[in-house]
Amino acid sequence: MTQILQIAAIAVATLGTGAATMTVMNEDIPDFAVPEGDWKAGHELDGSSFEILGTDVASGAVLDNRIMFRDGTFQSADCQNYCDFGWSAYQTKVIDGVVHFTARTVCPDAPHTVVWYGTVIGDEVVLEGTWTTRRWYWTNQIAITATGVEDPGAADGASG
Amino acid sequence: MQPTAPRAEAGRLNRTGAGSVLLRLAILVAVLALATWGVHLIRDALELQVRPDNEQQVHRAIMLGSVAYVGLLALPFVPGAEIGLAMLAAFGPAIAPLIYICTVASMTLAYTVGRFLPIRALERLLLILRMRRAAALVARAAPLSPEARLAMLLDGQPKRALGLGLRYRYVALALAVNTPGNSIIGGGGGIMMMAGLSGIFSPLSTFLTVAIAVSPVPLAVMFLGLRI
Repeated sequence: MTQILQIAAIAVATLGTGAATMTVMNEDIPDFAVPEGDWKAGHELDGSSFEILGTDVASGAVLDNRIMFRDGTFQSADCQNYCDFGWSAYQTKVIDGVVHFTARTVCPDAPHTVVWYGTVIGDEVVLEGTWTTRRWYWTNQIAITATGVEDPGAADGASG
Repeated sequence: MQPTAPRAEAGRLNRTGAGSVLLRLAILVAVLALATWGVHLIRDALELQVRPDNEQQVHRAIMLGSVAYVGLLALPFVPGAEIGLAMLAAFGPAIAPLIYICTVASMTLAYTVGRFLPIRALERLLLILRMRRAAALVARAAPLSPEARLAMLLDGQPKRALGLGLRYRYVALALAVNTPGNSIIGGGGGIMMMAGLSGIFSPLSTFLTVAIAVSPVPLAVMFLGLRI
């Protein structure tokens, strides 16, 4: 019995040390900081779809993607492929005719959080954002910048 | 004139010995530099980047690698440390905390097995796993006294070092675990298993010793920017 207790104590000490190490050493990386403002539930972009070409800021990898808006919700085609993010509510603010939008999307099956911030002028969009993965042993973040143009052909599908 | 000749001879031998040590040191540094350069080349060739499209696979690989690392490092004469170094080389400082807790878990596992599993059962288990060298190590330790088992950890050391090792056994354990080339006497897993078998290391003190002893590399990677 004593031996079992000792083994249990060693296991608890190991797990406790692991948890403490992770708490102290695994630093969180904050999501993209969206500029403050009078954000409201968005509808201005409903029915729009943009083909975007982006870059992973750290590695320079090219990201070819499509973003869609419908019924006050937003979806990234790549995010949908990778992790079934679904449709997420987006917010907007309009300043001098420029539509600013933001969306925070969360993968239901894995600890991925993607924060998007973009501005739409005419049929062009400029985007920034972060893809942050918070695993129990590390936090990994990919910062993204992208530009794109509206794809009127896909609008019907997006508004679907 | 006659006493001068032996002194000159001794001086020549000393110079030769010092030259030999310097040469070995230079070779060791050169090997380490080449190995580091090679690892960087491999990493660049792999272009290992965590991206949205491969993050799940990378996560699975890290989990699998960690389990293998804990298991292999705990086994005597199995080179498991290389898995940890490879993960540090591939993923950099971000993975250092995980490597650290896996190393502590592995060393503690080896100690626990040595401490609490009956020695004959451990020998049979190692034989079943076809680990003959490890089983032979355990068989050699079976009839020995606790002090003699500790002396096995310090194999090849002078008597004075053995005495100091017995007196400051936790320091000796920490040094043995960190000594390059300790795979000759069983590696980290073998040393910890033998420490458990000896019965003269208390669980709590051993755990604290391990937690401190294995921290230099992960801490250096994390806080001092050491690149492997």
